[in-house]
Amino acid sequence: MMSANNRDNKFFAEEGGPEHHPEEAAIRMWLRVFITIRWITILGIISATLVATRIFNIEFPIISAYGVCAFVALCNLALIFQSRSLKRMRTGLLIHRARTYGTIHLLLDLLAFIVLLHFTGGIENPFVFYFVLHIIGASVILHYRVVYMLALSKIVAVMLLVGLEYAGAIPHVNLVGFADPALYKQGSYILAVLIVLATALFAAAYMATSISGELKKRQREVMQLSQRLLDRRTRELEQASKEITKLEEARNRFLRFLGVTVHDLKAPLTAIQSYFWVMLGGFAGALTEKQRGMLERSSQRIKELLTLVSDLLDIPRIETGQIIQEMKDVSLSRVIKASIGDLRDLAKQKKVRLKAEVPLGLPKIRGAGPRLQQVITNLIGNAINYTPEGTVTIRVSEGDKEMQVEVMDTGIGIPSEDLPLVFDDFFRASNVEMKGTGLGLSIAKRIVEAHEGRIWVESPCPETGKGSKFIFTLPKKVETKRR
Amino acid sequence: MGKRAKILLVDDDADFVEATKVILESKPYEVVVASNGDEGLRKAREEKPDLILLDIIMPVKDGFTAAEQLKKDPQLSKIPTLMLTGFATKGTGTSIPVSRGFTLEAEDYIDKPVSPEELLARVEKHLKKAGFKG
Repeated sequence: MMSANNRDNKFFAEEGGPEHHPEEAAIRMWLRVFITIRWITILGIISATLVATRIFNIEFPIISAYGVCAFVALCNLALIFQSRSLKRMRTGLLIHRARTYGTIHLLLDLLAFIVLLHFTGGIENPFVFYFVLHIIGASVILHYRVVYMLALSKIVAVMLLVGLEYAGAIPHVNLVGFADPALYKQGSYILAVLIVLATALFAAAYMATSISGELKKRQREVMQLSQRLLDRRTRELEQASKEITKLEEARNRFLRFLGVTVHDLKAPLTAIQSYFWVMLGGFAGALTEKQRGMLERSSQRIKELLTLVSDLLDIPRIETGQIIQEMKDVSLSRVIKASIGDLRDLAKQKKVRLKAEVPLGLPKIRGAGPRLQQVITNLIGNAINYTPEGTVTIRVSEGDKEMQVEVMDTGIGIPSEDLPLVFDDFFRASNVEMKGTGLGLSIAKRIVEAHEGRIWVESPCPETGKGSKFIFTLPKKVETKRR
Repeated sequence: MGKRAKILLVDDDADFVEATKVILESKPYEVVVASNGDEGLRKAREEKPDLILLDIIMPVKDGFTAAEQLKKDPQLSKIPTLMLTGFATKGTGTSIPVSRGFTLEAEDYIDKPVSPEELLARVEKHLKKAGFKG
């Protein structure tokens, strides 16, 4: 399950950038908006004060208004600091902490607003309705109960302020030149304002919390859905990887079985072949012509069987990765020279010209020399066998990242319907008589692929328009010193 | 004619040993046989052969281990040791079968089955190389 959790984090990291969780991202965004709105509010208060005093000549204690602005500005700086400290927190803790900060700052705002209201005319000041905006802002992240509590404390605070002013317990500041100085003593007006404010606050709280609650619910549903999908996907992947492991185990068991069986077949065949050779070599006495003929044919059959056994032994050895242990620095030109040396007699016998175009000074490659020689010998051998007369050309070219070896012939070529099949196990082309084990090319492919190269065939050969061309690539050595 | 060369043949397959012995004895060679690595090492010490033919896969002690011990023994390390292998890759002459072979200082590798002509040629070559004078 560890891996599933890691996957989760990765999933969200990819989806949400540096934020880990959508709800967390929303809260961070809210905090940023909150801070910005506060700065705007401070500017708003300062400009409203300037407009009211300079243009409309309304009189009230300006210093107090600026004092409140300074207080709110300090609060805002504190909030900036606090929201930065949230960055390093776990998602669950972060949301909780951000809400606490939000509540504290909304209460500080409330305090600042009440004080400001007191110095700017109390009930006379129409800005008292701005409390509604504050409630809408709070609804976005705070729990709806907290929002209602906030609305209630606002209405209580305003009631207290106007009540105390009304009762004369605290002084009243009259906005000279704007409102009637007796307004704060007018009970019916005060009551009306309080009722409108209270209903507006609670209506706003209700609407904003419902909408934001619904949004949060949706957000959680989407999250849960994606989580469920992710879980299912993880389960499917785990299941698939289990099945792959099982298949690989079965394959390895089979390869071991094949290896052991074939090896056990090889020992008696070797002994039999040795006896045949002893007899054929006259080491065990003279033979009649008839005996010699039969022994020669038996020996030939054993030879065929030994070839098949050797081919079959190669498969598990290549596929279990033993070939990688055999790899060292190899000179490709030397390997090709050895292959040509092995096949010179066959070419002469078949009257086929062998041509090699190998550039001088080729870099060494990383590979299993005998295995690569096996591939090249196989390709040239096939080319000779399927070329009644003409030329077999072997060409090597060096690219940026790989070496390319081409074996071209002017022979009978491969029927186009056979082309996709030539590298399959036990495949024999339809235009030739049965010869060999049908494993040569499939083993060549295995060897080339074990070297991380590619092998393919083109027929007719594009250069000559006849015969076929086998091409394989081998990656060039990578300098390991680079780091 | 001078001294006959003594060849130690170590292989667990009795039939292969029999056939190979016949081939070797067609030349003026004396053949001593052993059927596993332990016996091979003992015979090597007792008989002081001029050349050793050593199979790789054998019971009790395999050919690789036996060859390593041979090469460590100062009295035996100079004896040319030809490994007999059923592992080799076909059509590539003497190829070294498995990774361990690279670190082994055997003089040669011979693929099984080996034709009489080739076997005799290799044996003769290595005897000559080791300075054996018949």
